[in-house]
Amino acid sequence: MNCKFVPSVCSYCGTGCGVLFEVIDGKINSTLPLKSHPVNQGKLCIKGWSLHEYINSYMRLKAPLVKENGHFQKATWDEAITHAAKNFNRIKETHGPDAIGVLVSAKVTNEENYLAQKLARAAIGTNNVDHCARL
Amino acid sequence: MNITKQVEQLLKQGDVDIFLAYRELDGHLIPHGYTLDNLEDLENLKVSQHRYSLEKVATHLTEKKPNLKIGIVARDCNQRALNLLYTWNQLSPENITPLMVNCCPSQTRNHSDCTYLEPKKTGTFKQKKGIDFNENPREFMDNNDNGQRFSRWMYEFSKCIKCYGCRNICPVCFCTDCSLENPDLVEPGALPPEIPIFHLVRATHMAGRCIDCGLCEDACPAEIPLRFLYREMNRIVSDVFDYTPGAGLEKSPFTIIGNEVTLEPRPMDA
Ligand code: SF4
Ligand code: SF4
Ligand code: SF4
Ligand code: SF4
Repeated sequence: MNCKFVPSVCSYCGTGCGVLFEVIDGKINSTLPLKSHPVNQGKLCIKGWSLHEYINSYMRLKAPLVKENGHFQKATWDEAITHAAKNFNRIKETHGPDAIGVLVSAKVTNEENYLAQKLARAAIGTNNVDHCARL
Repeated sequence: MNITKQVEQLLKQGDVDIFLAYRELDGHLIPHGYTLDNLEDLENLKVSQHRYSLEKVATHLTEKKPNLKIGIVARDCNQRALNLLYTWNQLSPENITPLMVNCCPSQTRNHSDCTYLEPKKTGTFKQKKGIDFNENPREFMDNNDNGQRFSRWMYEFSKCIKCYGCRNICPVCFCTDCSLENPDLVEPGALPPEIPIFHLVRATHMAGRCIDCGLCEDACPAEIPLRFLYREMNRIVSDVFDYTPGAGLEKSPFTIIGNEVTLEPRPMDA
């Protein structure tokens, strides 16, 4: 039996509280606040306290799904990305790039947000970029 | 013998299957389970200034493997929590090997090496409307009449964001069915939670149970003086029943599990 603690960052909101996952035999068993983290100083809200529940949820998506004939089918990443790219191209050609919008998030890193707006502006060609923290 | 050597010996002799202490990782002092499979980690073994409830981790491990032999680096608060968990049959002393280290001051011990529990600071607004973390409970009672005390506590409780942190972090909150999530006692989905009931439910449960480790107050994002509240509860328990939770292996006067009821009805003003 092994038990270790893994520091991480809460993925629920932009505050970015430090958490500690209690991992028993390779499975996350509970979540604790990281006491030495400068952002939350050993405190969490209820979402942070419950992180392990969604990580272990049976409803969690672990593979991409592509909708075919009204039903979701399991797909590989290559299939899913090709499918998405093909349809984005189709929309862009038929309705113009501004028919596409990109929603980024407070829950991801600055770098990921930067890449998403780069994809929107440089690859798709739209300024339709928005952010959940602007609500 | 230094603690690292002691832990190594306990593991190698098979006295414990896992030893819970701390290690340094990415600049953070965090708990770690040392076993024979990761002996190389022992060089990072630390006795952290930060306190986590290692005994709660022990109950999680025991849930998965009831006969697991667990070693724990223990301060006085950890030892009190262990005693309490033994008396409530959550852990069994045969399976636990505590290695005592220096600790913070407490009701049962004056020794003080750990600077972690420096007196908390209370801002001026909180002093005016709420409760000073460091106020002497006797003086608080003398300086405030019933109405003032009620309004001060209600101000504190109204800040609650119902994170359940006080319960989650508490080494002696181990119920599978927690009253704080019972919709008949605490209405779900309301913020702040129903006050003062939410806090008083927990306070009554902490009578004869809270070992005064202060972890709940540390974890409360709303800075509610929970330790103050539970200390006062247990002052009454101590006055009336002569019982201090965690001080020894005596069962709480409120134990109702088992063959014998030890609770003797007595008037509150005794
Ligand atoms: S614990 Fe709560 S406040 Fe902190 S990052 Fe997670 S969701 Fe945000
Ligand atoms: S001080 Fe708080 S966390 Fe510690 S035993 Fe008492 S109620 Fe639980
Ligand atoms: S608050 Fe009360 S019911 Fe809930 S876990 Fe603690 S002691 Fe049990
Ligand atoms: S830790 Fe504080 S804010 Fe969170 S539920 Fe407990 S009293 Fe409320």
